[in-house]
Amino acid sequence: MSGDRKMRLGAFLMAGGHHIAAWRHPLAHAQAGVDIDHFVALARIAERGKFDMIFVEDAAAIRERNSDMASQAARSTAFEPLSLLAALAVNTSHIGLVATASTTYNEPYGLARSFASLDQLSGGRAGWNLVTSASELEAENFASSGLRPHSERYERAEEFADAALAIWDGVEDGAYLPPGGADFTDRAKLHPVHHRGKHFAVEGLLESPCSPQGRPIMVQAGASDVGKELAARTADVVFAASQTIDEAKAYYSDVKARLAKYGRQIDDIKIMPGISPIVGATEAEAKAKYRALQELIPDAVGVALLASYLSIQDLSSYPLDGPLPDMPETNLIQSRQQLIIDLGRRENLSIRELARHFAGARGHWQVAGTPAQIADAMEERFSAGAADGFNVMAPIFPSGLEDFVTLVVPELRRRGLFREAYEGRTLRQNLGVGVPAKR
Amino acid sequence: MYLGFSLTPFGHHPAAWRGAAEIANLGFEALLAQVARAEQAGLDFVLLSDRLGARPVDDLSPVATPFEPTTLVAALATRARRIGFLAAAATHQHEPYNLARRFASLESISNGRTGWVAVTTGNGEDRDREYVDLVGALWDSWEDDAFIYDKEKGRFFQPDKMHVLNHKGEHFSVRGPLNVSRSPQGKPVLAQVLTDENRALAAHAAEIVFLQSSSPTGAEEAASDFIRSLEAADRRRDARILANLVPFIAATQTEAQALHDALQAVEDISKQPLSGAILIGTPIAIADSLQQWLEAGQIDGFAILPPTLGMADLFLAEVAPELQRRGLIGRTKAGSTLRDYLNLPRPAYPAATWERAS
Repeated sequence: MSGDRKMRLGAFLMAGGHHIAAWRHPLAHAQAGVDIDHFVALARIAERGKFDMIFVEDAAAIRERNSDMASQAARSTAFEPLSLLAALAVNTSHIGLVATASTTYNEPYGLARSFASLDQLSGGRAGWNLVTSASELEAENFASSGLRPHSERYERAEEFADAALAIWDGVEDGAYLPPGGADFTDRAKLHPVHHRGKHFAVEGLLESPCSPQGRPIMVQAGASDVGKELAARTADVVFAASQTIDEAKAYYSDVKARLAKYGRQIDDIKIMPGISPIVGATEAEAKAKYRALQELIPDAVGVALLASYLSIQDLSSYPLDGPLPDMPETNLIQSRQQLIIDLGRRENLSIRELARHFAGARGHWQVAGTPAQIADAMEERFSAGAADGFNVMAPIFPSGLEDFVTLVVPELRRRGLFREAYEGRTLRQNLGVGVPAKR
Repeated sequence: MYLGFSLTPFGHHPAAWRGAAEIANLGFEALLAQVARAEQAGLDFVLLSDRLGARPVDDLSPVATPFEPTTLVAALATRARRIGFLAAAATHQHEPYNLARRFASLESISNGRTGWVAVTTGNGEDRDREYVDLVGALWDSWEDDAFIYDKEKGRFFQPDKMHVLNHKGEHFSVRGPLNVSRSPQGKPVLAQVLTDENRALAAHAAEIVFLQSSSPTGAEEAASDFIRSLEAADRRRDARILANLVPFIAATQTEAQALHDALQAVEDISKQPLSGAILIGTPIAIADSLQQWLEAGQIDGFAILPPTLGMADLFLAEVAPELQRRGLIGRTKAGSTLRDYLNLPRPAYPAATWERAS
């Protein structure tokens, strides 16, 4: 590893916190999900910490079918990500803005247009986290046909990504002419898209100048084989959920090894696993913070969440203190399912223990400790070829993010692992991923 | 008198960009400055129309802003907090769930100051009606007091105040509920640009209609027709009828006429007709015309489509204050939502019409 290699940091924002019970904590702002001033404050904390980007996930549905269960968690009212980030764009100046959006329930033209708008509003700080949407509740909001199989969703996603890139590349830099001439545009710099594929027909041009960063950043979190392949071909950033350092290293080298066949360099993709840090002045304080949050999780909520990650209807008929039952393979989020099953077997965890474990950070890596201990854990993975940076999932907002920025970021800087100042004004400049060649 | 201000980078006249086409005019800060002036002048809302909502294009337009309208509203709403926003979006370009959710999100961002200008295709009346009703029903997914945030009992919302739609219609199948709480103003305001094709739908659902007639007489006839359509749809006179207005303004009548003639001579505007009634005059003459029209006719106000940015500034700096002095504009009741600005009723929660949550 070169000595001046810097860690990339994303701030994964989520209402009152990533911990499923965060909203019940005395420090939490329970109405956070639809409070724009709360999100502006979070974006500014992350920008003060010189984070590369903020990130928001998405689902076009409520998260839980059972309304009694849903009503005990804080995830049923939230901002739609693109409108949220458009609002944050004009209240921040340097931080990247990455929104999740589905290729299954959008059309390429409309979605590419919204991201181009976000990119213009932010002066080149937009990114799109491409997902294919695996939940049945979402499928039921968009048709009677039900959920599409994994392979078909990815086939559509491949075509969608290509169409979106072509749309973004349709207007070259300098297409709008300076004042005083006879023409408004330089037609030689306009390349309307005329795409007819299996899934989409796309005609026309975005009425938007060329992106200030060449093209919005593409993000992927796919962990299946086909997902990793799409990432290797199109993504600038990859988010990942890895519990152990060995899993993280295997994932990292797998994705990086796929780049060469697309003519890409190792550094063209930044791999950023999630980390849920619980920061305390002492280790005991951190552990106490963690326990206080865990105790707020109702068992029913934890178990329902675990069932949803396993893509099965119900776990409540199995003994809470017994092991997971054997699972049939589904066409849903296969890799996440395997991760949970593996953890349960490896550590011999009961359903209740697994539920609490996953409810906390929803399958991501949790570290509770002092700033130095958290920095140690991050540095270990960063130096071992397991990560180019991290997507930081504060358990509770705003205090968890504030703690990270105030306590952990300075520790990372002391070790020369993180920037003192932004390198540029666009997300692409700050991430250090080049402007791609036009298609 | 209700007043809206239609936002463009250079003005509504297709020739307005000539000599003025600084690329900075296309940027957010320049557009925000226009919105801030409209807010300062006491206008009720900004109108964001959408050329691409009608069809994608293969050339850049000097009349369109470079932003998708709903995305732009999200950005403007946090920086201009005392004016409403109406954004156009087409029913054939968005899934109903996505569109309902986008506007519900804008309602949270703006604290209840937005509305949807429903752009319909005109050749699918049944589909459009199902779409508009479905979006309205999704906006009613949660009762006003559904979210209780009870930390002690661990109850975030009251389950019996969440309503699953289970809509299965001819064109759409949507389970619901929407994953955004009910709007601070009940629902976003629903608007339509009135055409022959959408009159029945507008009479059924629209709370604002814009008349595009090129003369005051034509607009009055369109208003009378629409009022008859409202009555036929069993609605009271409960929609705001606004005439689109293209005011050519200058310090003297002669100068205003000369500016008008010069712009009209630049290019063949029959290809891109101005979609409103043309008035030509001094600020006082324009104010007189608006007052006379309002007092004599059936309309409730105007959407101002300024032909150039210079004329936009004259309208906001001289016509609007004159209307203010005459007591024709200015908010009559306290409140901070678009419905408050327009004196539109807050829609009550339609409890009786719901299936219970499944």
